[in-house]
Amino acid sequence: MPSLPDALPDAVHADRRRRFDELYAAHNRQVLGYLLRRTESTDDAADVFAETFLTAWRRLDDLPTGQQAGLWLYGTARRTLANFRRGERRRAALAGRLRAGLSGYQPPEQEGELADITAAFRGLAEPDRELLSLVAWEGLDPGQIAAVLGCSPNAARIRLHRARRRLAGALAGLDRQETCPAPARVYVVNGDIA
Amino acid sequence: MNPVTRICPVSDAEAAALAGAATLADLARQITDSPPVTGTGRAAVWPDGRSGTGRYAGRRSTRHRLLIGIPVAAALALAGLVVTSAGKPGEKVGPVSFGPASARAAVLSVTRHGGYLRVIVTNPLADAKQFRAEFARYGLDISLTLVPASPSLVGTLVFTESGPSITPITAVGRCDSGGGGSACPVGVEVPLGYKGYAQLTFGRAARPGERYETTAPANAPGEAMHGLNFAGKTVAQVLAMLAARHVTAAQYLVNVRCQNVLRASAPASWFVSNADPWAPGEVVLSVSKTWPDRRASCAATPSPAPFTPKAG
Repeated sequence: MPSLPDALPDAVHADRRRRFDELYAAHNRQVLGYLLRRTESTDDAADVFAETFLTAWRRLDDLPTGQQAGLWLYGTARRTLANFRRGERRRAALAGRLRAGLSGYQPPEQEGELADITAAFRGLAEPDRELLSLVAWEGLDPGQIAAVLGCSPNAARIRLHRARRRLAGALAGLDRQETCPAPARVYVVNGDIA
Repeated sequence: MNPVTRICPVSDAEAAALAGAATLADLARQITDSPPVTGTGRAAVWPDGRSGTGRYAGRRSTRHRLLIGIPVAAALALAGLVVTSAGKPGEKVGPVSFGPASARAAVLSVTRHGGYLRVIVTNPLADAKQFRAEFARYGLDISLTLVPASPSLVGTLVFTESGPSITPITAVGRCDSGGGGSACPVGVEVPLGYKGYAQLTFGRAARPGERYETTAPANAPGEAMHGLNFAGKTVAQVLAMLAARHVTAAQYLVNVRCQNVLRASAPASWFVSNADPWAPGEVVLSVSKTWPDRRASCAATPSPAPFTPKAG
């Protein structure tokens, strides 16, 4: 039987691994979905996914528990993706297989009314889009959004209200401009307005 | 109904199906096989710079550590390591000496192996023209640029923009784990006859006072704060640690109303959560008035809503 000092690191490692596996099993789909919904670059989605969970592995002892861990992962994925959008990307060697798996994905082409909503949505500033998306796509409430964005729930609530108002304004504006050509906008591949 | 719900591009279930369960499980295994670096690893801390402070917007605010680099000397040593690790001896078509007589080191090591050229940067201090000329010798339309990188990323590949047939060459176990796990990207493998264009970006050493464009965590091996346990300590305590190493805090990153902003100073009693290299001998500290920081306290707020995606 190994002595305690020898056995302890193995036990600690096994425990960390178990905790990570639980975290991964509970949240990997949500994080991957979150990323694919935010970027048209499937390579970026794969790399940021790997980075996010690698960060979680390294900071496992600092992570909140339960559903709050999912919010932490969203926040980390969001910040990492923001880094990628700023230009420099580093390709993660361990994400190679995931990149290949995602490479066939094409975001759906929206038509009719949905195309109008998409246009209005894309015309909003990134912070507004993120707030509205966290509600609509991730199903979060203002308290949870606050955790993802790192602000107070009250601030998240106020900003969400404003974002909704701006989206409504943009949708109304589209109706008014039905016969006019839409103003030209240039998008970078990640969907940010250039 | 929130109209944005109706334009959800892809559901969690669809995303998982695209990736495949086996691939996701494989990735988890690779992550847990990498060193955990308990208590020293940290999350990427940079905010959406677009709406942050002007000084901090743009490329210079970028930090990535998907792939963690290695010092130049190690990169030079790896050129040999990678080639010999190919199993069979490759047909060597390089390195080719290039540049002024005072810098005889080749800028690239190019070896032919099977249907591929293996390209390793051997001189991260050469200029872009030299690299381009060297690639052109092999009929490749590849441009290589260098960006100032924090010490542990010098000589490593930090960004590629290319077709899928160009793949990174990694040296397993030779650097701190990042998004690449224990695999450090030190070069690329290019199919013979590659006709497309590719852009590769490697890290180079920064000049004194020059800000890094890409950084590893400040406490990664080879970085200014390696070995320091600073998370949760006060600004005053961390500044004292830094002073002992002749390192200064160039900026402080503070979360104000959902936005991270840079400040020139911070109260000595505030707490440090993260640190990133900024320039040679300088770091930027993420600070908060309370500890755990505000984001953590937000996360602790109870919420009745289930954590279930509505998308899909």
